[in-house]
Amino acid sequence: MERGGPVRVMVVDDHPMWRDAVARDLAEAGYEVVATAAGGAQALRITGAARPDVVVLDLQLPDMSGVEVTRGLRAAHPAVRVLVLSASGEQQDVLDAVKAGAVGYLLKSAARPEFLDAVRRTADGDAVFTPGLAALVLGEFRRLASVPSAGGGDAPRLTERETEVLRMVATGMSYKQIATRLVLSHRTVQNHVQNTLGKLHLHNRVELVRYAIEHGLAEDSEPG
Amino acid sequence: MTVTVTAGPQGGQGGAQGGSSEPLWRAIAVFRFASLGYATLRVALIDRAEYSRPDWAWVVIAAMAAWTAGTTIAYARPERRTRLLLSADLVVTAGLLLSTAVLQYPQAPRHGVTPVTATWVAGPVLAWAVRYGRRAGTIAALIVSGCDVVLVRGAVFGVALNGVVLLILAGVIVGHLARLAAEVEAERQYAIEVEAASRERERLARDIHDSVLQVLALVQRRGAEAGGAAAELGRLAGQQEAALRALVRGGSGDGTGGPAPGAPGEADLRAAILSAQTDRVTVSVPAQAVLLQQAATDELASAVRAALDNVRRHCGEQARAWVLVEDEPGLVTVTVRDDGPGIPDGRLAEAAAAGRLGVSQAIRGRLRDLGGSATITSVPGEGTEVELRLPRVGSAGVRRQRERA
Repeated sequence: MERGGPVRVMVVDDHPMWRDAVARDLAEAGYEVVATAAGGAQALRITGAARPDVVVLDLQLPDMSGVEVTRGLRAAHPAVRVLVLSASGEQQDVLDAVKAGAVGYLLKSAARPEFLDAVRRTADGDAVFTPGLAALVLGEFRRLASVPSAGGGDAPRLTERETEVLRMVATGMSYKQIATRLVLSHRTVQNHVQNTLGKLHLHNRVELVRYAIEHGLAEDSEPG
Repeated sequence: MTVTVTAGPQGGQGGAQGGSSEPLWRAIAVFRFASLGYATLRVALIDRAEYSRPDWAWVVIAAMAAWTAGTTIAYARPERRTRLLLSADLVVTAGLLLSTAVLQYPQAPRHGVTPVTATWVAGPVLAWAVRYGRRAGTIAALIVSGCDVVLVRGAVFGVALNGVVLLILAGVIVGHLARLAAEVEAERQYAIEVEAASRERERLARDIHDSVLQVLALVQRRGAEAGGAAAELGRLAGQQEAALRALVRGGSGDGTGGPAPGAPGEADLRAAILSAQTDRVTVSVPAQAVLLQQAATDELASAVRAALDNVRRHCGEQARAWVLVEDEPGLVTVTVRDDGPGIPDGRLAEAAAAGRLGVSQAIRGRLRDLGGSATITSVPGEGTEVELRLPRVGSAGVRRQRERA
């Protein structure tokens, strides 16, 4: 993303201590923390005015789920990139948030450099894949492939290379290690990872539209 | 946990006392008034000619009315339903019933005339049954019907018998009903308590999740940055966070780990392997439960733990490891990778030949017993990878290919 000035970040977390610590880290690293919010409704309300590039979102909020917030943010502000942080391995919630449009996921216990790096990559438009997220995405594609009725032939599939790359990410290998092992460029590895997420987002959107049409919620919507 | 139904000066005497029997007491009061009306109508309209002393019969009816009003008020409060009051009720009722002997002509029973009290005599029987249960109800019924039998002096015993049987049945059935109501009430109370307890547990889990885990994660993060002794503290906080997280996940059941196992004898492999997660070991799993037979789950988890022990032994405490669980329709794969120095080329085969591959061999053995396979690959400088593959039972046979080294 090319844009003048520092990256604008909004932090959404109901825990004040954590929120302040994250905001301070971001400010020290040169990011502009344009807003903080303690709940999902507040976050959705102020996003328009705060115009963040990246939203750092805790999955566990008191008023609404992180999945709902992600969906709401993506619907109202498609340019905003959502990086999900969660204190624990709520696998289904993380997967749902990613399917709803979050582009990255990090455990809260991640060290500061790792976190700052994740925010930077999110701002750059890269997917932030932890081993945990890679395993979730792998599992989701396998589930989609094994459910025959899930929309006939249009269930998304991973290429062999994408599966290979995701498995390596899921076993803790860095993009650099993967690139070396597969004799690819760093960028290509990154693209493979990005593609898996893109397929999942697209599939999710198609599913949502189909659901809307089946239930008479949409008269003439087009996917995408 | 104590539950106070009614605040009274003295405690109840147990039995069918409590909220559940209140409707029964109200029903008894209604029954008494209805019976009083019936008895009045009988004296006034149907049996008038049978009374030698009709004026005294009206006195008895008036006494019945007074007693009905008195007992209704007295029984309204649970703490007043004492043995003394119920005994008095029984004695007064029996007395009024027996007064029939001096009110009616001697031959009246033969004409099928009811005693002056008519069905009103069932009042104390029902009261005893509700208050003290089936047996007390039966005894009260026997006493009242005994008086009834004395009255007819065997003249038309067959007719009297009908009333006796009905009265005893009423005593037994109402007593039984009261007991059932009390049991249902107790169960309801217990269910409420259980629900309250589980809600409290969920709240605690949520609170721990929202506060303690956050602080531990923060300590871990800050500690790692500070280095030195603080890094050790941070590492410990990380371990506690992982342990507490597992505990909360197990306690609250739903919401975190996805749906619970379906078929009996099956277990979620994810839960078994997630418990191996520490600050140095990252476990990554799919969102859906990975269901295997309990025995297979245990064995696979043991194999994973053995592999992780091996990592610690050969690569040191600081080595990091990653565990990946994959679930395909016919195959479950668990991969354990470390970032240690790896095993130099040929060393693995050499060690195997020399019989010095204890742990690896044990892992292979476990998987072979389950009908699966284990593959160990290592590139010097890039760590070691152990891949455990277990075909699902019922899927195309046992595959043992790709067994190398």
